[in-house]
Amino acid sequence: MTAAEDHRVGPGSSEELPTPDLPGARSHEALRNFPPPETWDHHVAHDARAHPRKVPREFMLIPTTCFNCESACGLLAHVAKDDLSITKVEGNPAHPGSRGRNCAKGPATINQVNDPERILHPLRRVGERGAGGWERCTWDDALDDVASRIRTSIMAERRDRVVYHVGRPGEDGFAERFLLAWGVDGHNSHTNICSAGARLGYTTWGGYDRPAPDYANAKVILLLSSHLETGHYFNPHAQRIMEAKSEGNAKVVVLDVRMSNTASHADLWLAPWPGSEAAILLSVASHLLRTGRIDRDYLRRWVNWRTYLERMHPDRPRDFDAFVAALTEDYARYTFEFAAEESQVPVERIRALAEIVAEAGPALSAHIWRSAAAGNLGGWQVARCLFFLNVLTGSVGTKGGTSPNGWHKFIAHGFDVPEGHDAWNELLWPGEYPLSTNEMSFLLPHFLQDGRGELDVYFTRVYNPVWTNPDGFAWIETLTRTDTIGLHVALTPTWSETAAFADYVLPMGHATERHDTHSYETHAGAWLGFRQPVRRVAMGKLGSAVTDTRESNPGEVWEENEFWIELSWRIDPDGSLGIRRYFESPYRPGEKVTVDEYYRWVFENRVPGLPEKAAAEGLTPMGYMRKYGVVEISRDVYRRDERPLTDDELSGAEPDPDGVLRLPTTDESTPPLIGEAGAVGVQLEDGSRVAGWLTPSRRLELWSDSVASFGWPEHAAPTYIESHVSRRRVDLAAGQRVLVPTFRLPTLIHTRSGNAKYLNEISNTHPLWIHEDDAGQLGLATGDLVRVTTRIGHFVARAWAHQGIRPGVVALSHHMGRWRLDDIHASRWASGKVDLERSEEGVWRMRYVEHPRPFASDDPDSSRIYWEDPGVHQNLTFPVQPDPWSGAHCWHQLVTVAPAEPGDRYGDVQVDTRLAREVYREWLAMTRPGPNGEGLRRPEFMMRPVKPKRKAFRA
Amino acid sequence: MRYGFAIDQRTCIGCHACTVACKTEHEVPLGQFRTWVKYVDSGTFPDSRRDFGVMRCNHCTDAPCVTICPTGALFTREDGIVDFDGSACIGCKSCLQACPYDAIYIDDDTHTAAKCNFCAHRVDDGLEPACVVVCPTHSIWVGDLEDESSGISQLLATNESTVRAPDQGTGPNVFYLGAARAVLDPLEAPVKDTYLWARPDEHRLATSADFTGSDPTAATTLNTAHPRPWGWRVITYLWTKGVGAGALFVAALAAVLDVGLGGVGDVVAPVLAAAAAAVTGGLLVWDLKRPERFYLLFTRGNHRSWLVLGGYALLGFGAAATVWFGTAVLGADAAHPWLALPVVLLSALAAGYTAFLFGQAEGRDLWQSPWLLPHLLAQAAMTGAGAMAVAVVVAGAGDDATALVARVLATAAVLHLAITAVDLGGRHESRRAEVAASTILRGRYRAAFWWGAVTPTVAAVLLAVPAWNGDHGWAVLAAGILVQPALLTYETVYVRAAQDVPLS
Repeated sequence: MTAAEDHRVGPGSSEELPTPDLPGARSHEALRNFPPPETWDHHVAHDARAHPRKVPREFMLIPTTCFNCESACGLLAHVAKDDLSITKVEGNPAHPGSRGRNCAKGPATINQVNDPERILHPLRRVGERGAGGWERCTWDDALDDVASRIRTSIMAERRDRVVYHVGRPGEDGFAERFLLAWGVDGHNSHTNICSAGARLGYTTWGGYDRPAPDYANAKVILLLSSHLETGHYFNPHAQRIMEAKSEGNAKVVVLDVRMSNTASHADLWLAPWPGSEAAILLSVASHLLRTGRIDRDYLRRWVNWRTYLERMHPDRPRDFDAFVAALTEDYARYTFEFAAEESQVPVERIRALAEIVAEAGPALSAHIWRSAAAGNLGGWQVARCLFFLNVLTGSVGTKGGTSPNGWHKFIAHGFDVPEGHDAWNELLWPGEYPLSTNEMSFLLPHFLQDGRGELDVYFTRVYNPVWTNPDGFAWIETLTRTDTIGLHVALTPTWSETAAFADYVLPMGHATERHDTHSYETHAGAWLGFRQPVRRVAMGKLGSAVTDTRESNPGEVWEENEFWIELSWRIDPDGSLGIRRYFESPYRPGEKVTVDEYYRWVFENRVPGLPEKAAAEGLTPMGYMRKYGVVEISRDVYRRDERPLTDDELSGAEPDPDGVLRLPTTDESTPPLIGEAGAVGVQLEDGSRVAGWLTPSRRLELWSDSVASFGWPEHAAPTYIESHVSRRRVDLAAGQRVLVPTFRLPTLIHTRSGNAKYLNEISNTHPLWIHEDDAGQLGLATGDLVRVTTRIGHFVARAWAHQGIRPGVVALSHHMGRWRLDDIHASRWASGKVDLERSEEGVWRMRYVEHPRPFASDDPDSSRIYWEDPGVHQNLTFPVQPDPWSGAHCWHQLVTVAPAEPGDRYGDVQVDTRLAREVYREWLAMTRPGPNGEGLRRPEFMMRPVKPKRKAFRA
Repeated sequence: MRYGFAIDQRTCIGCHACTVACKTEHEVPLGQFRTWVKYVDSGTFPDSRRDFGVMRCNHCTDAPCVTICPTGALFTREDGIVDFDGSACIGCKSCLQACPYDAIYIDDDTHTAAKCNFCAHRVDDGLEPACVVVCPTHSIWVGDLEDESSGISQLLATNESTVRAPDQGTGPNVFYLGAARAVLDPLEAPVKDTYLWARPDEHRLATSADFTGSDPTAATTLNTAHPRPWGWRVITYLWTKGVGAGALFVAALAAVLDVGLGGVGDVVAPVLAAAAAAVTGGLLVWDLKRPERFYLLFTRGNHRSWLVLGGYALLGFGAAATVWFGTAVLGADAAHPWLALPVVLLSALAAGYTAFLFGQAEGRDLWQSPWLLPHLLAQAAMTGAGAMAVAVVVAGAGDDATALVARVLATAAVLHLAITAVDLGGRHESRRAEVAASTILRGRYRAAFWWGAVTPTVAAVLLAVPAWNGDHGWAVLAAGILVQPALLTYETVYVRAAQDVPLS
């Protein structure tokens, strides 16, 4: 064993020292859920297939992290010592979030690892982009080519021409690092097709862009998303929701248009008309105000009520009672009757909801993620109105209440963090969307078609915009044009619709094949997780040191972090661009950092409490993380707004007229990820100097000057914005309905799970949910082909008429409708082969020529595929519908539902991209472009990945 | 010690983690499940509801699969776990018939029976089963049900619980808390056209109109496939051994009554019997998923299993046919009256033992009828006499012989029809049997049953009666031919309908 792998320190071996109580350790009498950690390096298990014959085999149990949904649950991989194969993955009992438990997608990781159709070698395009020609190339070929192009862009000051488009990152810090080091404004997340709506709602209250409900201790759990079956954070949250329900008698209320698995556990289920949720929530707020069941002390101390009075009621006295009276009056119009009219939910159910919320006191855990906030025009206000209930009831940051995510999340940065750049990428942060929560990623094809810019190098990283984003044909049209996108590099473990349109397809590892750190707000505490290549770790422990993850991964599959280090090095081989220094070892000056050294440094220097915990077990910090895969940072974290500032923090800070404590700053200052540069906290009326919130006022902003200053004073306070699919806009008699296309299944995850056979076999059809009454009116029955027509085209699905969805709404789940152009460069487990054609006028037609069917491979199960339904790729027929405020794509579609027409076949898709352009322009026209009166492109305090210096904010 | 599970449906979120963890633990082939999650949707919007149920082996205290397993491949451990040893399994599928819970399948990789074995390999190492470990909401409890202080015992002592199909008397050791009746009783929630994100298998779809639950809105919206374990081979085996046994019975009866059948009684009957026994045995072996292991029936036979005892019965019957033939060939016909009684008994055993085997198939309530034994005997006499009638008439064996076969045929056919009427049309012990019977009488199988099984048998009776005194040989010949496909059709619907009743 080399020194690098020996993580023990001090006298004796780690076996002699105590191991901590694991948060997920449990036993049923003689049976425990996991072998004790001290045995993980030499765990003997008996072959299940040989049983009852006892065939022992020795394993190393190496923790890592699931890479399927965002929850980042702990996994424990079983690596056989004899042949270093990974035989299965279980949960990790050391993980404070997932506590040793998983959803179906956790154990299914083994399917992804063993997928016989994985991409094992780097590939380079041959022939036209998208034409299906590929040749193997070396990593060196790819690295040199990509690096030289990026170097050229950087040297030519084209800092907006290198873009990294990431699906769900599943990691914190590393992408920011290399982008900052390169000095490009190129971070492009998927967020605006996902959670941006909810984020703006939360951001405008407190700066933090996500909620962190303390479900486990809640008295009332109010869910607008299906947290018992999908991400953010499915398994960790489901555990705690059901715990609160069964052990704490918590009431669960669910708002969802369909009978979800979550709704099935609700004490009260409301199925509102899509987009009316804010009206319901405001009627509850109004009820709380009217009946005085509000937390006055909390409101007085933490809400910017003076600003509210000043802006809304300048003539009234500036006292708190006047504020409460004014607020009560302002919201009085949101009656139960009004909400019932908008939502088509009976008044009694809304009243019941209001009563339940009123009884919650400070233990109201409320959550919205995607769902209504991602579906509707103005959806961000649904989140803003939901948090309004937390604010009114004083259930913010309390035990059983709802905290901001920042209190329960810990980002561990590397050494020598590069400072902010001063570039501003108008393709990602265009002037029309100054309040957009994240990059306007899904408008990229339209911006490029508009001639707003060009890209030299475009990375898609475990991301599949052609399939996932709306208006996929616009993506295909754009990706096939090599004049606007110079180079498309797809970093992906498996083939996807997008990888088919790349220049390089570079294979990256699954959950058990890569290094990352990450941290999510799963409960009222924080943890830092460590994803690791488990075979590499096992090999290291067995004495064969691996210095490159490719040596332990299948084929030439790599991990991203090593790739980025190597790529960055080649961009700046001599260090003259100032990039290389960020990739030099902190332990070996001037030499290239290894991924081991990078994380070793992080764990030794950035993680509070880790060195001590490690030492207590006789381990180095790195050794501790290699052993447990996670470290708990904090627990029982509440009311961090009241955290007194330390002398260090206060040093040099002065209160401004609103009490905000600020350090002196200049235009060269780089604001933090969230918050304004220099702001450290707030001095409250009683003189206490505390951390407060991350808004400009460091308080909860009932009135958002930021929203008002960018031209939307009418939406500066929580309000109800009528959705683009509101009841009034839908002509039911003409066959129009609202299509809800976003609901997720507990067993699949976007396009990541397409190669997990054990998930596909559970979920493999894609029916269009429709209420029996609607089906009757439209002449449809279960199994019938249905033509669903959007503004830009149509698709053909199959109906499921039943009682589990509200009339007026049809719904089609996410995940399915996977397609491929050929059988070689494709994942066949769940996809259909298609014919794809485009007319000269720009009308695209896609038709399945082959449905999923058995195929021969090394896995006998591929010949047993019994499902035949590839699903319908509905997203292709959705025009872009960017919310003018949050910039989120408004997923819900106003559609016409009718029986299929002669010649229609299941799965057919037709789209006219000219119409798609038209709709894009219509929605663009709804914006009120920045900059604001102060000349800012966007509010400085708002979260923005890879935040530039303050001066870049100036238009 | 008695290990069991408690599954708390009050907290189960239907996520399928247990399903997948189990599959990765045991590397279960696609399409097969040791545990799975069933969904039932019911109600009318906005009072719709969905219920989940985690299905698996019940580790029954009185496990019918262990009783029926011919080789002891399925066995109950001291700790109560119903375990299996794939290396001892011949793939006869009888355990699939015995299990009233659809818990067993034939593994596509090993071609042997498999099911939840409580992760016995883990339990032996002090670890919880994989499904228990993974469950996000800790809705699956495991422990010793005989230990009052165990967590599971405490849970069950303080909460109401139910089991699946308690009327089967198997003593299930999987207890459900807060489970909807429509989830646990498959007859309460038929499948309606589709599942919510999968397609029901054709077999399950076919049953959708066979029954309705007490709540007509309840529909099974997610489940797994459980194809009929036994098909045409077993159906045919019922016929072949019946024909053989019936033929030898007629020969023996003729010997006792001193009716001269000539070569038909001395040669045709025993040859037919022996051939039928051989074909029967061949069909049985052919139906095994591991036919090369059939010898395990004898080397490690479970003498409680009627599959084993039936094997001996068939061997004994084959021996009887051989002796009958041998004595005839050696000119010792005089011994036949003395041989008649054992021959009749062995014929009856060969024809009738299936009643005991089917009786051990606890999952098929239609087959649990007390009428099955006499019914099989009547059917054997009918088809055996039918075969003999053909031989007698073709060989021109004389009026006495014709009269005998006609009388046996007519009597047996009337008995067959009468028992059919009483058995299928009468009161049933369970709803499952009732559903199976009504599927035959009034449901999907009614055309085959009435036109293919009943009508030709009635016609055969009408043809055989005029030959009662030995006249009209052509009529009894026609009757003898008619009853053969009629019985095959009857057995087809009888064997299928019983297996069509959903158990999960």
